Amino acid sequence: MSKLSLRQLAASPRLGVASRTLVAVFGGYALAAVTTAALALWLPVERADAVITGTLLSFLIYTVAVLFAFSTRSALRAWVGILAPTLVGAALVWLGGPA
Amino acid sequence: MTLLPLTWTLGYAGLTALALAMKRHHEAVLGAKASEARLRGFRVLGWALLAAMTAGCLAIWPTALALWMALGMVAFAGLPLVFLLPYRPRLAGGLAVGLPVVGLVVGWVLG
Amino acid sequence: MKASLRQSMAWLHTWSGLLLGWLLVAIFITGTSAYFRDEISFWMAPELHHSVASEAAPRLAWEQLNATAPDARDWLIALPHERHPAVELRWRPDTPDAQENRRRRGERAELDATTGELLEPRASRGGGFLYRFHFELYGVPRIWARWLVCVATMFMLVAIVSGVITHKKIFKDFFTVRPGKGQRSWLDAHNATAVLALPFHFMITYSGLLIFMVMLMPWGMNVAYEDGWRGFFNEVFPREEQAANAGAPAPLVDDIQPLVARTEAAFGQPARYIEVEWPNRDNALIRITTAKEAAITDRRRGGNPSLSFEGTSGRLLKTDPGVGADDGFAARTYNLFVNLHLARFADPATRWLFFLFGVVGSAMACTGMLLWVSKRTQQLRGKTPGFNLRLVNGLNMASITGLLAAMAVYFAANRLLPAALETRESWEIRAFLLAWLATLIHALWRPHRRGWLEQLAALAALWLAVPVINLATTDSHLFSAIAWRHGALAAFDLVCLGMAAGAGYAFWRVAGHKPARKPARAARARRAAAGESS
Repeated sequence: MSKLSLRQLAASPRLGVASRTLVAVFGGYALAAVTTAALALWLPVERADAVITGTLLSFLIYTVAVLFAFSTRSALRAWVGILAPTLVGAALVWLGGPA
Repeated sequence: MTLLPLTWTLGYAGLTALALAMKRHHEAVLGAKASEARLRGFRVLGWALLAAMTAGCLAIWPTALALWMALGMVAFAGLPLVFLLPYRPRLAGGLAVGLPVVGLVVGWVLG
Repeated sequence: MKASLRQSMAWLHTWSGLLLGWLLVAIFITGTSAYFRDEISFWMAPELHHSVASEAAPRLAWEQLNATAPDARDWLIALPHERHPAVELRWRPDTPDAQENRRRRGERAELDATTGELLEPRASRGGGFLYRFHFELYGVPRIWARWLVCVATMFMLVAIVSGVITHKKIFKDFFTVRPGKGQRSWLDAHNATAVLALPFHFMITYSGLLIFMVMLMPWGMNVAYEDGWRGFFNEVFPREEQAANAGAPAPLVDDIQPLVARTEAAFGQPARYIEVEWPNRDNALIRITTAKEAAITDRRRGGNPSLSFEGTSGRLLKTDPGVGADDGFAARTYNLFVNLHLARFADPATRWLFFLFGVVGSAMACTGMLLWVSKRTQQLRGKTPGFNLRLVNGLNMASITGLLAAMAVYFAANRLLPAALETRESWEIRAFLLAWLATLIHALWRPHRRGWLEQLAALAALWLAVPVINLATTDSHLFSAIAWRHGALAAFDLVCLGMAAGAGYAFWRVAGHKPARKPARAARARRAAAGESS
């Protein structure tokens, strides 16, 4: 484990960490939620299986989103990288499934 | 007879063999420099023993649980090994040979 | 770029691990005890210890319920078995209140399985308290506590994955533990417990979230089903509805024994539960379920085979072979994770292995917390630690040795509190909480090596005291438990002794450890100490 303090993290000021935390916690959850909903609607399997598959994946998606939020070069990239797919997922949910 | 003790000891022996396939541990346990061929031999032996351990798990539990418990056996066998290696490397190596025999006997006695 | 990814992951691992680490340590430790919650509950009810499972149990239970609650809404008889050799009776009175709320537990009684005598176990929450604590804490509104625990669990999942990315040479360092080197040694111990049991850590964390998916992630269910999660569960795990109304009075079959024998013969398994809906009415229904352990991909409830009989005549109505492979792939995956978390299927040997998994998990969480302090203490190079470091060290102490000490106090209180005490079960819990608070105050007051030594000494003394108090206050102590060949009771006292020995060993190691001014000397001293010990 390398020596790292808040300040040394990619030279990002505290604000950057706060901003990343914000998008990781809430953005990550939003992404996981809309992905789950979209998979539940769009997966071409039985409804119950689609719902469980989406829900099983949701926590992994959330985890990856959190890791992503803290690994991008800038906080802005984290925001864009999480919110863009969230909007796509939201659109898919809004369309409401294939049928 | 119950296979659990034998299965666990096979896991221990297998992990020990895998440790012996690494230069540093090989020298610490056996006190001799290792040739590449020897290291490879230990690696093959180690995986073979772990395969035997997995087979033991499959004989004890239903398939899904057995595969899961095989992963668990790596933890249960590996933890005593990694904490024994730095203190008593020779003992750790000796146990890899002795324990499976003990496991077999204990399993047979327990029925 | 690669190095910086690892650095940011190391940062994330450190801080996500620290922020809710104390809560996670408590969840892990109490959760580990929950693998044996039935055994703990049984130990905490010594009035039941003399009961021995017998063939007569169904008949005795039948007579008892017919006498006590002939016109209840339903009965549940849990027949005696290895983990609980007394007969447990539950029934829900036919009152509007009980009908309103299906989840209400209703009344409960315990019966000696040989004599049929009503037993009166001391009031205690038993192992259920520790089990509930591990996901609902105590004294906090349930929904808030569950959210808090789930947030901690999510942090854990993040810490696990970021920890794996952080770890540079995950397989090269597989077998490496370097004792007596302060921070390095804690790091090695943390790595060893984390990496070797990584599948377990991931499973227990991920499945912990899945168990609460309705609360945490209902969105898939909400968009796909009109009535949300209810509709989803009705479709995936259908339940038979109970007849809503009582029929006209009509006596149940006199003798339940033949129906039990018939069920056991049908599935080649001992019967476990007898359920009766609307007993002593003309629409009475008897269902007898066997103890066949479900496969781990089966659904959680209702997986066991059962026979259903007409209550008044004993005529066979339905044979349910139990559920098997008819669930979909995703449902089976979900079942797999949830069942692995709960270990419902486990026989005693497997249950011990799961318990050991939990011990390794607790050790991983603890070593992580200790590593955080060790690393920063080492960076001080002999300077006095600041407020933050002392705070973290103190909280570590309270969450590790403090919690374990409080658990010993909980068990001791079970034996020492008078049986007639008003709200006795709450006093057991108060004893637990007060002891924990005391260790917290002590830990914040003395957040250093001497503090650790004092808590370790107290820990060893308390865990040693539990079997001794048991010996003094009951006749089902360690020696008689061994004589009766009662595995669970004997194991409880033996685990207490093991805890005492472990705490004593830790005390001895910490006492013999020289503060790391000169690491080489400390290492030599440690090696010498280790040599003596083995």
